[in-house]
Amino acid sequence: MQYTVGREAVSRLISNLRSLGYTVVGPKLADDAVCLTEITKFEDLAAGVVDVQSPGRYRVGGSSPFIFSAVNGPHSAKRFLHPGRVPMVRLKEDQGGLKTESVFQADRKFAFLGLRPCDLKAIEVLDRALIMAQYEDPVYTPLRRESIMIVVNCGRAGENCFCASMGTGPKAEDGYDLAITELPDNILVDVADGQMRLMDGIEMKPAQPCELRQELDLMQKVCGDMRKKIDRENPSDFMYEGLESPVWDEVAQRCLSCGNCTMVCPTCFCNTLQDVTDLKDGSVTRVRLWDSCLSRNFTYGVGGNPRLDRKARYRQFVMHKFAYWPDQFKLYGCVGCGRCITWCPVGIDISDTVNRVLKPQGDRRPLPEVVKVA
Amino acid sequence: MPEATALVYTRAVVREIVPETPDTMTFAFELEDGRGTGDFRPGQFNMLYVYGVGEVPISIASSHSERSVKHTIRSVGTVTTLISRLKVGDVVGLRGPFGASWPLEDAYGKELMIVAGGLGLAPLRPVILEALASAHRFKGVKVLYGARTPKDLLYKYEHAGWSGREGAELLVTVDRAEEGWSKNVGVVTTLFRQVDVLAEEAVAFVCGPEVMMKFTLQELLRRRVPQDNIFVSLERHMSCGVGTCGHCQMGPVFICKDGPVFAYPRVKRFFAREGV
Repeated sequence: MQYTVGREAVSRLISNLRSLGYTVVGPKLADDAVCLTEITKFEDLAAGVVDVQSPGRYRVGGSSPFIFSAVNGPHSAKRFLHPGRVPMVRLKEDQGGLKTESVFQADRKFAFLGLRPCDLKAIEVLDRALIMAQYEDPVYTPLRRESIMIVVNCGRAGENCFCASMGTGPKAEDGYDLAITELPDNILVDVADGQMRLMDGIEMKPAQPCELRQELDLMQKVCGDMRKKIDRENPSDFMYEGLESPVWDEVAQRCLSCGNCTMVCPTCFCNTLQDVTDLKDGSVTRVRLWDSCLSRNFTYGVGGNPRLDRKARYRQFVMHKFAYWPDQFKLYGCVGCGRCITWCPVGIDISDTVNRVLKPQGDRRPLPEVVKVA
Repeated sequence: MPEATALVYTRAVVREIVPETPDTMTFAFELEDGRGTGDFRPGQFNMLYVYGVGEVPISIASSHSERSVKHTIRSVGTVTTLISRLKVGDVVGLRGPFGASWPLEDAYGKELMIVAGGLGLAPLRPVILEALASAHRFKGVKVLYGARTPKDLLYKYEHAGWSGREGAELLVTVDRAEEGWSKNVGVVTTLFRQVDVLAEEAVAFVCGPEVMMKFTLQELLRRRVPQDNIFVSLERHMSCGVGTCGHCQMGPVFICKDGPVFAYPRVKRFFAREGV
């Protein structure tokens, strides 16, 4: 059911969530970027801050009358639900034997405030990889199950966004507890079944048809404003045919293999286990860290390294998102959030790569200029 | 119902060490949780963990008819080198089993062709033992095995038992012979000259280095063994063993959870392909 509320409702929502025991995570200005971090009050939010993004470039500046004014920054919910560094198990040698204890405890429950629809979809994508498996992931699963998702439908298309092509935005269809759309005069809230408790003490009016119309118009405008897109529907099949496209070589000429794309990607889940030894008691903690298919060591093996060259590794990243993922998990691995484009140090644009590969003979247009630091 | 966690280590105590080649040994383990060979199917693998160093995926080399869980390990990297230094009574961490097993039932009523190269014989050893124990179910069990030199042959002490019985045949070849070697010299595919393959009536299990598997498959397909009857065991770097670390992907498959044993058509597009 959709309601309208005033701007002040967001402040009350934060305190409601906190009194229900949630750690509220929302967009906050930090290190010259809108980051996702714990917020305790309305003033923490990067309200009115606008971001300017282009391939390889991110700046904050300008101002907006809206609270959730910036689109995606470098962080996504992955940072909290599938953290970059988690101690998993502790092992101790004990009279020539081996004693193991689980050390991970899901001791917090998160409420994500201001999640974008593409990022909400990214969580569904992660669910398939980490929960709907033979073994439920012991870290992601409990954190995810306890989370509250408050999605904010996008009133502005970021310069690197292409969610409309991926079918993941700019409006969330399902999977949220609350969905917010900011209109010029008030805020539309869609409350999922059983989540009225989050709205405690907030004055709500049933949404009027004209307000719903306003929302629809806004979403259509955002779709129309989106400059990036994937040129073909169901690109998966065509991507397989493009496995030997000359495009991979061309793009790999610029790729630095730094792995930034995989770090900022909201669906990249690859990880590795590392042993950390405690010098005091001799115990060992097996720590899980994010890993990246762009790293040369990622596929190092006794039988050789199948992805030694950068082209192979960059191709893996893109093919996984657009071809293999649908086969593995019945969903695309890319949600069109545009982060890998923004945070690539040389501004490689995944949508451009895919569109080039999708052309039967590859696309021979010259690649865009390498970005220059302003 | 998904299981709770894949990160549960069992203490595995080394009970016996059999030297196989100058750099390879077979370890027999006793598992502290009481599990035995029946809990590990041929073709599956375990993650073996050396305390404070790391872990490696190693295929199951024991058959359910044996008493202890066995792994045949070549010392090539940090972890396997440390394993090779273990003594009887030492302990490693073990978690598993993971992955799919060889579909031995698919070969019932057919001719079972087992083609192994080098250490690739290890995951096939339990299949050989189990097939020979019920040889009447097959139209013959043929084992084609190639190693680099006679010194590199695994399980030499068992070979006589693999070919002595009715319907069972073991053909061995080496790339480089030594004095006293009277059998075939050449890559494993040269052994196909010495056998009749029952084509559509054959089921092949293949494991070995990629290039060996590539040429073996060419040979099998040339002899009209149906693609669906060919099974390969693949290998990639792994960290988790259950499809959540991402390392072992090859195209759309996770070697760890979808394999390591695959029907050939499933991996055809990416098998032995460069850079995938």
